[in-house]
Amino acid sequence: MEEKEMEQFDSVVVGAGHAGCEAALALARTGNKTLLLTISLDAIAFLACNPSIGGTAKGQLVAEIDALGGQMGIIADKTALQIRMLNRGKGPAVQSLRVQADKNAYHTEMKKVLENEPNIVIRQGEVTSIEIAGDKKIVTTQLGLKYVAKSVVFATGVYLKSEIIIGKNREKTGPNGFKNANFLSNCLQNLGIRLLRFKTGTPVRIHARSVDFSKMETQLGDENTLSFSTMTEEKVENKAICHLTYTTPLTHEIIRNNLDKAPAISGEIKGVGPRYCPSIETKVVRFADRERHQLFLEPEALDTQELYLQGFSTSMPADLQKEMVHSVVGLENAEIMRDAYAIEYDCIDPTQLKPTLELKTISGLFFAGQINGTSGYEEAGAQGIIAGINASLFNKNRPQLVLKRSDAYIGVLIDDIVTKGTNEPYRMMTSRAEYRLLLRQDNADVRLTEIGRSVGLVDDERYKKFKEKCKKIEEIEEILQKKVNTDEKLAKFFEKNGESVPKENLKFCDFLKRTNIDIFKINEEYHLFDSNYDNRLLEIVNTKIKYEGYIKQQQEEIDKMLANENVSIPEDFDYMSIKGLRVEAREKLSKIRPLNLGQASRISGVSPADISILSILVKKGKK
Amino acid sequence: MQQNTIVSIATPLGMGAISIIRLSGKDSLSIALKVFFAKNLDFETIVPRKMYFGNFKVAENSFEQCLMVFFKAPFSYTGEDIVEFQVHGGVLLAQKVLEQCLDAGAKMAEPGEFSKRAFINGKITLDKAEAIVGEINAESEGELMSSLQVTNGLLAKKILKAQEEIKLLLAEIEVGLDYPDETEETKLKNDIWQRMEKIKSELLQIVENSKSAKYLKNGINVALIGRTNVGKSSVMNALLGEERAIVTDIQGTTRDQIEASYVFEGIKINLTDTAGIRETKEVVESIGIERSKKSLQTADLVLFVLDGSETMSSDDKKIWQMLEERNANCLVVINKSDKPRKIEKFANEIEISALKNEKIDVLKKKINEMVIKNKIDFNKLVVTNERQFEILKNSLKLLEEILDNQFLNTTLDVLAMKLKQVWLTLGKITGNTENEDIIDLIFSKFCLGK
Repeated sequence: MEEKEMEQFDSVVVGAGHAGCEAALALARTGNKTLLLTISLDAIAFLACNPSIGGTAKGQLVAEIDALGGQMGIIADKTALQIRMLNRGKGPAVQSLRVQADKNAYHTEMKKVLENEPNIVIRQGEVTSIEIAGDKKIVTTQLGLKYVAKSVVFATGVYLKSEIIIGKNREKTGPNGFKNANFLSNCLQNLGIRLLRFKTGTPVRIHARSVDFSKMETQLGDENTLSFSTMTEEKVENKAICHLTYTTPLTHEIIRNNLDKAPAISGEIKGVGPRYCPSIETKVVRFADRERHQLFLEPEALDTQELYLQGFSTSMPADLQKEMVHSVVGLENAEIMRDAYAIEYDCIDPTQLKPTLELKTISGLFFAGQINGTSGYEEAGAQGIIAGINASLFNKNRPQLVLKRSDAYIGVLIDDIVTKGTNEPYRMMTSRAEYRLLLRQDNADVRLTEIGRSVGLVDDERYKKFKEKCKKIEEIEEILQKKVNTDEKLAKFFEKNGESVPKENLKFCDFLKRTNIDIFKINEEYHLFDSNYDNRLLEIVNTKIKYEGYIKQQQEEIDKMLANENVSIPEDFDYMSIKGLRVEAREKLSKIRPLNLGQASRISGVSPADISILSILVKKGKK
Repeated sequence: MQQNTIVSIATPLGMGAISIIRLSGKDSLSIALKVFFAKNLDFETIVPRKMYFGNFKVAENSFEQCLMVFFKAPFSYTGEDIVEFQVHGGVLLAQKVLEQCLDAGAKMAEPGEFSKRAFINGKITLDKAEAIVGEINAESEGELMSSLQVTNGLLAKKILKAQEEIKLLLAEIEVGLDYPDETEETKLKNDIWQRMEKIKSELLQIVENSKSAKYLKNGINVALIGRTNVGKSSVMNALLGEERAIVTDIQGTTRDQIEASYVFEGIKINLTDTAGIRETKEVVESIGIERSKKSLQTADLVLFVLDGSETMSSDDKKIWQMLEERNANCLVVINKSDKPRKIEKFANEIEISALKNEKIDVLKKKINEMVIKNKIDFNKLVVTNERQFEILKNSLKLLEEILDNQFLNTTLDVLAMKLKQVWLTLGKITGNTENEDIIDLIFSKFCLGK
């Protein structure tokens, strides 16, 4: 087939999971004619594991995707079954929203959005190869169809040469019985890309009618629910409840007596699994002194009886799974509808990528999501939107976007995987973000909307809303600048809240420096803000003022970091010839080829002394 | 590139008659003018490369004479604004000056940093770059834990242990933050408090020991205070005996003050005699007390000399009051024990006769004991490297800030941030600053996940 005869696109996105959807939407919304290829149209935005979106650190990622103009937050709000803000009372930096999402509705709603996007062509098909033809890329499907594009985003998830493992049973398929992708791995290897083999897993699904809920604790959603997306106008309602139950000594005994049948422990599974998501057998072995492990029953969707048994991932044989489940409190008669399984798959070593998510060796090839060795819908979506933005900028020959560690969790995520690599599926955690007091969920839009606007992804409606919000925040801050006289009312107010009464006149914002006084208490007493200013806005200002000192401290650290971040290192810099650097540092630097001194300093095995030396020689090279 | 203003002691510690403390960076002058005061000296009028004579503020309301010179960028060694202070030799004063500069906003210079800046700003030729690389490596090498380990295994272990314990605390806090669903709640703040107090006291011990060791290395500063005619000079001479090393009468700078030193049981004692209390009656209070106050600033021990054959005069009483107010580490020396005693008893006193050379050795012993409370064992918990010492002191300061009265009101995210700073600061000694270590610990220690 001649190139002219092939269908032409600006970009092809391979895979329509959470990364692929965000990438395709980012491309299409910034004016690129985009082909979205997926192995199955029914697998679009499929919640293959937990029926939930958000959680610690992940909630921040969703808010950031939203601020940049992405879709995940909007769909999660729309399909939420239960909403909870985690870590209330532990400080605003680590508060994260988590929703139970309706798995079927989530898929359907995302598919609708894609279908209604004029610049996206959705096509079922398995990509079997990619060719580089000058600055064009040719993508071929299993049926021999060929497509030409300027750039390609790979977002293949866990489908590459994936195998499902249940006991001794191994099946070459994708998650949940979807077909897998058997050819693309080899093609990527032929392009010189190093592959890794990772493993993850999912627990059983149980029929709700067979569960004795009376033996379990219920877990309700928040009364005052919040939403991920600033575009969500209506209050998100709780529509379902979750249940908490526990394993028993019997469960542990069954597992211990059958460890030889556990593929993850017997050595049958070679792929590296995530430590933060261990199978129940791994938990029992590694934490032998624990008498019980907690398990959650989560509804999969409103239109099904299926329940997801969180905490019970396993790859034990199916008959044993049944025995194990029946030993759990309240699940004595449980009907298993789907078996738990482990899945092994190919992914790439992410240190082969630039912080833009473009492959270092071949321009115009971008990678996002689980193919980069991460795990989680939110992590995938976060990379997807960045890969989509950068593919779009690439198509237009515009400078690439790199979010810094101080800009967003997304920046931390991508910097971590491309700089340090990962030897297990990478999960976002708040403890990975050194500037987390600044990277809050509540200020994601303040941090990122302007960036999203500058790359053309934030539309007028979102931008207008954002500007209005900023204005209101300013107004609140201005109102708090009002001076208050030290009168009897003030004295009473301070005493009531267990604070010493100030002697001199002060401003309302000074009140907030007191531990026991917050903006809501002030408002109750002095009625400063009417219903124009909702609690969420007040909360933002409250946090901003109360944490001012710490925020300033982190800002200073960031300024220090930026000094290094702004010294770029030439791409062809010859590390091996620098005698002053230790051999380990030379090798690591040559492998990662950091963009700047800041990234270099975060490579493990590169010491501060190495960075000092490097900074001198980089300058020397420039002269 | 925007740079911090850095400071360090440029001269070798404990050697030489003067010490030079050097600041480099855009805030050098503003920092200098916060701590150094001289006639007709301010931001507008300062003349570069001119030596200014003035007073350096070593503590609240206390000043030391000092020389200062300003080099304006780019005409300086580093190519940045530089300020240099020259003060009398001896470690304590140089340390005080350094500390004041740090307090005023300067940062401790990294190994080879002055040279590095000189290079970056084009003040050193390119072929010298390799030499600087060597310098950085050599200086960094000297600070690595490995070198500490070689010279002092026990200390290395202690510091590592403290850092490990902080890491564990961090992991425990982080688990609670990243996995709120876990039923195993993070330990109560009280538990955290107690464990942090323990770490603090261990670090404090090392810092205190190291201070003692510094005495061994640099000597003890002892000030003789008293009015005239109590026999101060003879006490001084008796102490110096035949071992009298240097007696300097420093003209112009600190006139009327005599410094000399002797060595006793291997430790160098630097004596300062504030010989000024011999003026006419009216100015005794002003000049005498002022001078005595001043010598207190740098003294590790004060010898308050009294004439045992007389009752306390009003001058004696004034000096005594001043010493008590300042809570000075003080030994009362009752001189002239050869005569009948008339003076009252003091809690911490020693009777001697300088004239007859009686009990001088007892006095010498007592001086050493009063300053060096911990028995110094160089193989034990002592940090001798200046930078390591500075790092330990910083860690301690950060810990104290966490354990203040707001501790219980601090939210866990902020607590984690502060604790992480301590961990990172100690990491400058141990070399362990890999965030992944904390995450590894979270997973190995706690049972997590879905």
